[in-house]
This record gives sequence, structure tokens and C-alpha cells, in this order.
Amino acid sequence: MTIHRSLSIKREKFVALLLALPALTGLLLFIALPFILAIGLSITNLRLGSPLPLEIVGLREYIRIFSDSSFLRALANNVLFAVAVVPMQTALALGLALLLNQKLRGISLFRTMFFMPVVFPMSLVAVVWVMIYAPGPNGMMNSFLSIISLGTWQPQDFLHNPLFAMPAIMLTSIWQGVGFQMVILLAGLQGISTTLYEAAEIDGAGTWQRFKYITIPQLRNPLIFVVVVTSILAFRLFDQVRIMTLGGPRDSTTTVIFEAVKAGFDQAHVARGAAMTVIFFLIVLTITLLQRVLLKQTYQNV
Amino acid sequence: MLKKLICVISFMHLVFLFFGCHAQQDQTESAYLELQVWAHSGQEAERHTLHKQVMLFNNQQDEIQVELTFLPEGSYNGQVQAAALADDLPDLLEIDGPYVYNYAWQGKLLPLDTLISEQLKKELLPSIINQGTYQGYLYTIGNFESGLGLYARRSQLRTIGARIPNSPKDAWNVDEFQKILYNLSQQDNDGAVLDLKLNYQGEWYSYGFAPLIQSAGGDLINREDFQQSDGSLNSPAAIVAMQRVQHWIQSGYVDPNIDDAAFITGRVALSWGGHWNYNQYRAAHGDDLVLLPLPNFGMGTRSGQGSWSWGITTTCRQPQAAMRFLEFLFQIEQVLSIVKANGAVPATYSAIEQLPVYAPGGPLHLFIQQLNKGYTIARPQTPAYPLISSEFESAFFDIRDGAVVSKVLDQAVAMIDQDIEDNYGYPNLSHKKSFQNSYR
Repeated sequence: MTIHRSLSIKREKFVALLLALPALTGLLLFIALPFILAIGLSITNLRLGSPLPLEIVGLREYIRIFSDSSFLRALANNVLFAVAVVPMQTALALGLALLLNQKLRGISLFRTMFFMPVVFPMSLVAVVWVMIYAPGPNGMMNSFLSIISLGTWQPQDFLHNPLFAMPAIMLTSIWQGVGFQMVILLAGLQGISTTLYEAAEIDGAGTWQRFKYITIPQLRNPLIFVVVVTSILAFRLFDQVRIMTLGGPRDSTTTVIFEAVKAGFDQAHVARGAAMTVIFFLIVLTITLLQRVLLKQTYQNV
Repeated sequence: MLKKLICVISFMHLVFLFFGCHAQQDQTESAYLELQVWAHSGQEAERHTLHKQVMLFNNQQDEIQVELTFLPEGSYNGQVQAAALADDLPDLLEIDGPYVYNYAWQGKLLPLDTLISEQLKKELLPSIINQGTYQGYLYTIGNFESGLGLYARRSQLRTIGARIPNSPKDAWNVDEFQKILYNLSQQDNDGAVLDLKLNYQGEWYSYGFAPLIQSAGGDLINREDFQQSDGSLNSPAAIVAMQRVQHWIQSGYVDPNIDDAAFITGRVALSWGGHWNYNQYRAAHGDDLVLLPLPNFGMGTRSGQGSWSWGITTTCRQPQAAMRFLEFLFQIEQVLSIVKANGAVPATYSAIEQLPVYAPGGPLHLFIQQLNKGYTIARPQTPAYPLISSEFESAFFDIRDGAVVSKVLDQAVAMIDQDIEDNYGYPNLSHKKSFQNSYR
């Protein structure tokens, strides 16, 4: 009997491996292999199209990157962006999801409207927001701020002011991205049994208490998912920067991916680009692992 | 995310992709000779014209069939580099000015010296030969040139009593120019009177503003041996020139021009621009439009030159056939039809003579004066140019955003000089000898 059982387990393992094979091949081919290549390339002097012989130069590019103020600024910007955007976007998504979870007439129309920006490509959204941030008193954002501040707002050139450029990109990103997180949280909200709320109400729980003791714990897994995904998206920041600011003004919006693309493609320094992505990968990996440990996902009730 | 991340660094994918796509397109044996031609996908009219020219050429004779492929302009260089890695370049390649020397150095281009007819060579503007020459060999020829200047409206200049220069020689000097900016801004609603095309990206900044540095006595790089940018791009002359530009921006004279309509809507009085702006500007302002030389920063006005040009690749098996197609493109009617489509300056004297706008007294005569009388300066003939241009663009943005000019230029210089050093000064690898032998 035990022999039988261990055999069947072996068989199961084999089948499982077989089934996972296509996905594993893809992972290996498109993720593991290029990553290993990137590590390899980063210690050479490879540049795009150069007829000079390829040489191994060791850690030269790494040393240069860490003394490059633009790259260090890019790292700091990525962190700043994630630290600011992740909590804001998650909170906003939760708020929207709660609002849109009402049983009202035409609520699906509102849901569609809030989800709409997600459907637009980021590049399009960025172009539109460049117009919104137009400098001078006629720019849409400037005139809006002027109206709500009763004319005390001084027109700003948002995307060319080191103080405003990053917040401007954050706002654009949140506007575009929040609908996605909202939909996930909305689905989570709808999965919460109404009996829980009814029971709580009978027990005399108020709105706040119901939110705190039923909604939040029940939404734990969707929330963790949203936080992890938003963090990853935040670190990947590129499109908005490429279109709206090109990393400026004075590196205040540059990101690691932007610097890597600039080095690799605009300046043909493939080795430097590769080194940047290796460093970046290690950082993101650490953050993701850390998050997984800190926010241990529970699989009950899902 | 990881996947995307890796895609960015893994240039190999691109190579595989290209290899895969093009392997199927291998030429089949046939009676006529097939010529692969790549061109950039520019304005629609330009694309259309080139397409028509190819059809005309194919129908005119039955020995050569030209196969034309358009590549998007934004990723043109990347695609060419990828194709080169996969050993899959076409026979004839359109090349943007900044990349000519880099491609030539990489051994991708065949010298044209033994292929080109004396007659055509004599027809070409000196600037075309100048831009196409690297290490003593002619690698590319353009069928059109570019022009850079300052567009203005006569009526507005008259109201402030400004002098209207009528040749490069009497360009405004920089103090005069700043006074004009001030006077114009006094009459303007928002004070922004100058359009520097700050909405553009990429090559524009080196093309449009290196002439200022050169007019002040500096340059992007020391042109004696192209080994050092230190002492040129961060020279006192270059710093002063860029400080002036920064001053204009900080004084509010410059319109950000997000909608690219600052000049045609009359929002600004002056527009720093190129030949490509002319048709639109003319339509908006008619005879009131006037083209002026860029301000003189001390050594006389300077302007830009060079545009897309044609080069035969080293993988081309029939360079004579490729040259035959090129000679066709340089026939007077063909040059006239392409410049009609893209608004550029014709590259041949005979075509220029046909167009009244370039004749003395014509609205664009200045471009010809600049090109013919040595007021234009070719891009530095070094493989490092794409990097120089990219660094200068970053520096310009920082200067626009208020950074300390000397510091920004020092940084750019450090990056450029490091790149040159990493490449051992871009030594001459003399591919040309072996390649020349192969088709003689």
C-alpha cells in the first residue's frame, strides 16, 4: 500500500512537471536567460554596433553607475514615487470601490467611467496630461487651481519645475491606474457575504466598526494583491517620464528604467544599460520578497 | 514587470526577431536585379513621392527592380543596428545626418568615391559633400539639404523699429537681439515673443543651438582630432552662449510652444526654425514672413546643415546598380519633386536654380547664402556624434530648467570624453580597403 502510494505521488509529480513545462520553458527562455545574459553583458564593454573587439572590463560599469548622480537620483525617484503613490492609490481605489459598491440606479455607468482611464494607453494619457499641465494662466491645471484658489494661484510650468514635476507625474499615474485597483477591490467587496454585515448590525456595530472589523479583514487578500501590483507598477515607471519630462527638470523625474533605456538605446552603451537593470532587478526582488514576508497572504476565505 | 525589464536590456531579442523576419525575404533568382532600399517613414507627402519615384525607376528600365521599405523614423537607428548585427542590411540605406560617421566607422558603408559620376559630384552643394565625407572618403550623399534660421514678421519688427538683416553678414549681434526681444516683449500680452521649438525632442537641440556656441567661438568637440570635448563644449565661449539662452528663457521671452503653433497663431514674433517650418509659416503670414540669420555671438552668424542622405552598404553586391538608382534620384525633376514634398533645400545647383524662392531676393535665399558661403557648420565628423548629441540635449534641458550652465556643460564633457576614451579614440579601422577590393 505504501509503495503504491509513493508511486502514485511520483506519478503525480511527473504529470505536474509535464503540465508546468510550457510555462517553465517560457520563463526560462524569456526571463532567466535574458537575465543571465544581462549579467554577462554588464561586465563587458559592449556597445551597440561597435566594430571594436568585445572586452571583459569587470565591474567598471557598476562603479561608474554608482558615481553617476543621475542614476542615484533615478533610484531615489523610484523609491519616492512608490512610497507616495502606493498608499495613495490603494486608499483612493478602496474609497472609490466603496462608493461604487452601492446599489443605485446606473451605478454600472459610474463604474465604467472610473474604469475608463485604465483602458487608455499610458502614452495617450501622458500626451493629454502634458496639455493639461500647460504653463501659463491658460493651461487647464493652472486655470483650475486659479479658480479654486480664488485667483491667488500663480501659474506654474509644472513639468519644468523641479518641485512640481514629480507630483504632476504621480497625479497622472494615479488617475490612469486607480481604476484597475478599484475593480479588483470592488470584486473583493462583492465577495463579502451580506450576512456578516447584517449580523454586525444586529450586534449594534456602526458604519465605522463594520468597515474596520468586517470590510478590511475580508479584503485582506485583494488589498495585498493591490499593494504588491501597484508597487511593481510604480517601480516600472517609464512611459509617463519618457513622454512628459524626459527625466527632467534636472533629473527630478528620471527613473532607473529611463536611465537604462537612455544608456542602452540613445547612447549605445549596452553594457551600462545592462548593469543598471541588474541592480534594479536585485532591488525590486528584495522589495517583493520583503513584502511577501511582511504581508503574509492567507489563503482561507478566498 | 520582469519580462519587460529584460526586454529592455536584451537586445538579442530584437536581433532574433529581425533575423526571423528577414530570412524569409531572401531574394529569389530572377532575370532582373533586386535592390533592397530602406528609407525613413517621414511626412506623408515625402513617403508618397519616394514611392512614386521608385515605381517610375522600376518602369523606366528592366534590369533593376527597387524594393522599397519604410521604417519608422523614431526607431530607425535601432532597427538598422539590429539588422547590421543580423547581417541583414539592405543594399541602399537612407541615413540621418547624425549617424553617418558612426555607420561609416562601423564599416557598414561603402565609399562612393569610385562610383559617383564627376558630373553629379559637381552638381552637389559643398555642404552635402562635407557632411558625407569621413576620413577622406565620401560615404553618403543627400538629395536635399536643411536650412536653419530665425523666422519673423516684418510688420512686427517695423513697429519696434528693428533693423531687418538681409544677409548672413549683417545678422543681428547678440546685444541687438536681446534688445529686440525686450522691445517685442513690451508689446506682447504675455511677454513671450520667441519660439525656440522647446516642444521638439532629440537632435533638434544640437542642430539648432550648436551654431550659437560656434558663433561664440566654442564647439561641441575639438575638431582637430575629435578626441576631446573638454575645452570646447565647456569653453568660456560656449558657457556664455548657453547662459544667454538661459537668460532668454528665464526672462520669460520664450514660449514653451506645447501646441507647436506659437508662431502661426501669432503668439510669438520670432521663431527659431528650419526649412520644414516654411510652408506652414508662409500659409499663416504670407508676404509678411521674413527669414533671418541666427544672431551673431561674436564670430559671425552660424547655421546648421545636413539632413537625411543615401549610403550604399557594404553588404550590397551590386554597388553600381545602387548608384544607378541614386543617380536617378538626383536627376533634376526627381530632386524637385522630393523637395516639393518635404520643403527641404534641393541639394543640386540645377534644382535650386529652378526654384524662385531660393533665388536672390527670394524668401529663402538666406538658406543658400548660408550653405554656399560657409556660414553652416557640418556636424562633427566623429562616430561619437550620436552620444554628443544625446548629452547636449540633456544639458540643454537642464539649462532650460535653471541649472548652472558651466556645471552642466562640464558634466556633458566628462561623459563625452569618457566615451571617446572607452572607444580608444574611435580608431580608423580601415574597412574600406578590403571592401573596395571586393567590388573592383
